[in-house]
Amino acid sequence: MPLSMVREGEPNVIHKVGGKEETKRFLENLGFVTGGVVTVVSQIGGNLIVNVKEARVAIGRDMANKIMVG
Amino acid sequence: MSVKIALAGNPNCGKTTLFNALTGSNQFVGNWPGVTVEKKEGRLKGNKDVVIMDLPGIYSLSPYTLEEVVARNYLINERPDAIINIVDGTNIERNLYLSTQLIELGIPVLMAVNMMDIVEKSGDKINISKLSERLGCEVTTISALKGTGIMKAAERAVALANAKKAAPKVHKFAVKVENVLTAVEDKLGSDIPEEQKRFFAVKLLEKDDKIGEQMKKVPDVSAEIEMLEKEMDDDTESIITNERYVYISSIIGECYTKAGKETLTVSDKIDKIVTNRWLALPIFAVVMIIVYAVSVTTVGTWATDWANDGVFGDGWSLFGLEIPGIPVLVEGALEAIGCADWLMGLILDGIVAGVGAVLGFVPQMLVLFIFLAFLEACGYMARVAFIMDRIFRKFGLSGKSFIPMLIGSGCGVPGVMASRTIENDRDRKMTIMTTTFVPCGAKLPIIALIAGALFGGAWWVAPSAYFVGIAAIICSGIILKKTKMFAGDPAPFVMELPAYHMPTAGNVLRSMWERGWSFMKKAGTIILLSTIVLWFLMSFGWMDGSFGMLEAEELDYSILAALGGVFAPLFAPLGWGDWKMAVAAITGLIAKENVVGTIGILFGVAEVAEDGAEIWEQLAASMSAVAAYSFLVFNLLCAPCFAAMGAIKREMNNIKWFWFAIGYQTVLAYAVSLCVYQIGMLCSAGAFGIGTVVAFLLVIGFIYLLFRPYKESTTLKVDMKKAAMGIK
Repeated sequence: MPLSMVREGEPNVIHKVGGKEETKRFLENLGFVTGGVVTVVSQIGGNLIVNVKEARVAIGRDMANKIMVG
Repeated sequence: MSVKIALAGNPNCGKTTLFNALTGSNQFVGNWPGVTVEKKEGRLKGNKDVVIMDLPGIYSLSPYTLEEVVARNYLINERPDAIINIVDGTNIERNLYLSTQLIELGIPVLMAVNMMDIVEKSGDKINISKLSERLGCEVTTISALKGTGIMKAAERAVALANAKKAAPKVHKFAVKVENVLTAVEDKLGSDIPEEQKRFFAVKLLEKDDKIGEQMKKVPDVSAEIEMLEKEMDDDTESIITNERYVYISSIIGECYTKAGKETLTVSDKIDKIVTNRWLALPIFAVVMIIVYAVSVTTVGTWATDWANDGVFGDGWSLFGLEIPGIPVLVEGALEAIGCADWLMGLILDGIVAGVGAVLGFVPQMLVLFIFLAFLEACGYMARVAFIMDRIFRKFGLSGKSFIPMLIGSGCGVPGVMASRTIENDRDRKMTIMTTTFVPCGAKLPIIALIAGALFGGAWWVAPSAYFVGIAAIICSGIILKKTKMFAGDPAPFVMELPAYHMPTAGNVLRSMWERGWSFMKKAGTIILLSTIVLWFLMSFGWMDGSFGMLEAEELDYSILAALGGVFAPLFAPLGWGDWKMAVAAITGLIAKENVVGTIGILFGVAEVAEDGAEIWEQLAASMSAVAAYSFLVFNLLCAPCFAAMGAIKREMNNIKWFWFAIGYQTVLAYAVSLCVYQIGMLCSAGAFGIGTVVAFLLVIGFIYLLFRPYKESTTLKVDMKKAAMGIK
C-alpha cells in the first residue's frame, strides 16, 4: 500500500519508489531505498513527516502516494 | 603555499557552524556566479595560507539540484587539496551515502563526525578506527557547536592536503558491478586523471546526463549499462544506490552501537506537538504574532523612530544627555565651513535625508533578522514551510513564502530579503515579485489620506487595501506559475526537517549581521545615487525664465513637475491625470510616505500631518472618490520604493529578472487601477467610453490568464553551462 495510508508510528519496509525520475532519485538520495524502513511520525493535511534512516523528512501527499510499503 | 580545503556534507549537518568556527571573521560571502546559490570562502584562523570553501549542503553528487551541480563542478574542476566531510553523528547512515561518493573523487578526505556530544549523551557508540578502516579515509570527531576538536580536524585536513595522497579505494561494489565499472574505467580517455576514473565511471553507468559536459570525450557505455541492467533486473542508478546503502549498512553494523531500544528523540517529541494536525496552526500563529509584535510594532517601531527621528532627525537623548541627530551635526559642520547653499541642499535634503530614510530601517531589520536567524537555526523554519505549504502551493508559492510576506507588512526591504530562506529558485523569485504587494508601514499614510479625504474615514478602506494586496499575491501566483518563465522544475514537496537544537548566540548574531550589512552596502551605493538624482529633479527648475534652485514650496516649477506634466496624460485613464498626483506617485519611489508630503506641498501646505488632514478638503474637491481609490490601488501595487527595489535587485541577482519584477508590478498596478476607475465610473456615473471597453477587455484577459489550463513541466532544468562557468 502507499505510504500515505500507513498508520502513525508503525515501521514499514519500502517495496518500491515510483514517480518521476528526478523525484525518485532525490528520494533515494534522502534514504528512501527499496528494503529500507520508514515510519510516519505525523501528518497534517495529507502531508507527512516520516522517519527514514534516522532522519526526519517532510513529504507531500502526492509523493507519499508513490512510495509503496508493506 | 596555500592549501584549499572544501567543506562538504548534508544540509543541516553543522557545516556552516564549523565553517564559522574555523574561519572566524575571515570570510567572503557571495554567490556562485550565475546562480543564486550562496558561496562562502574563508581563511583558517591562525593560518592564512589555508583557504576554506563552504560548499552548499547536498545529499549526493547526482545532478538533480543546483546545489549538487555547483558542489560537484567545484570538486571536479577546482580540485581542492582536501575535503572535510562533515557527518551528522546522530544520523550517520544517511550521511555516509554522500561520503561514499566523495571518497570516489580521488581527493584526500577527512571525515569529521559532528554532534559527538549528542551521540555520547544518548549513550550510542561509534567505533572511529573501525569506521576509518572500512571507509578508507581518516576519521575524527568534533562538536562544531561547542567548538571541540575542530582545530585538530583542520590540522589533520591540512596535513592530508600536503601529503597529497588520495584515500585508497576500500569500497568494492558487488563483483558483477565491479567488473562493469572496471570495463568502463578502461574506456575513459587520458584527459581523466587516474584517481578520478572511478567517479566518472560510476556517473557514466548511472546515465548521468550532465557528466558529459565535464569530459572531453564521452565513451559509449550503453552496452555495459544494458548488460548490467539485464543481469540485475533493475536500472543502473538504482543498482548503484542500493549497493551503496548495502555497503553503508554493513559499516554501521560494525561501527555503530545503539544504546538502548528505539525511543522517540526529543525532536520527535517536539514535532508531535508542533506539527500536530490540530495544534500546528495555532502554535504557528502565536509564534508569528510574537515575531510581528516585537519586530514590526513594539521594539521595531521604537527602533525605527529612534533611527529616523533621532539619529537621522533632530536628535535623541541618552540618559538625559542630548545627542544631536546626524542632519543637525552635518548642517552645523557645513555652516561652519561656509558651504554653498546648493551643496548644503544636496547633502542635507538629498543624501542625508534620502539615505537616512533607508538606513532608518536598519535597527528594525536587525531585530527582525535576529528572530529569523533564531527560527532558522533552531529548526522551526523548516516546520513552517511544512505547515504552510499546502495552502501556498495552490497559488504557486511555497510554505516559506509566508515569512517574507508577513515581514513585508512592516517593511518591504527585509521582507524581500527574507526570501533568501527559500531554496527553490522558482518559489523564491515568485515570492520576491509578490512580497511588496502587501501594504507596508510606509503605505499606511497614503491609505489614511485617501480614506480620510474622500471616504469620510470609512472603516473599510484600510482592510480593503490589505485585501487588494493579498488578492494581487494570489492572482499573480496563479498567473505567473502558468507562464513559461516559471514552468519547469515541478518541485514536489520533499524536504528534510533538521533536529531541533538551541542555536548559539554567535551564529544567530552572525547571520543577522550578514543580512543587515548587505543591505547597508546597498543603501550606500544604488540608493545613494537615486536619491541624488531625485533631489536634483525636485530642487531645480525654471522659474521666472531662469533655471535655478527652488524653495520647497516652489516644487511646481521643478524639473520633476515638468516630468510630471509629461507623465500625467499616462495616468488620465486611471482618473488622476493631474500632474500633481503623477508627481506624488513618482516621489513615492523614494519612500512611500513621501506621497502624502508631496501632495501637501503641491496643494500649498508646507507641513502636513502624517495623514494629511490639512488638505483633505482640497483633495476631495480636486478628484472623485473612484479616482482616489484608483490612485490608492496604483500606489499599493506599483514598483516599491528605491530601497525595496534595491533589495529586489539583490535577491534576484539578475538584472533581467529585476526589470521583469518591477515591470510586472507596474503593469499590474496600471491595469488594476484602470479597471477600478473605468468600471467604478460606469457603476457610479454611468460613464461609458473607450476606457470602459479597455477595462472590460483587461478583465477578460485577466480571467483568461487565471483560468487557462496549463501543463506542469516534468523536467528539472539546471543550467549546467552557466554553473560550470561560474566555477571557473
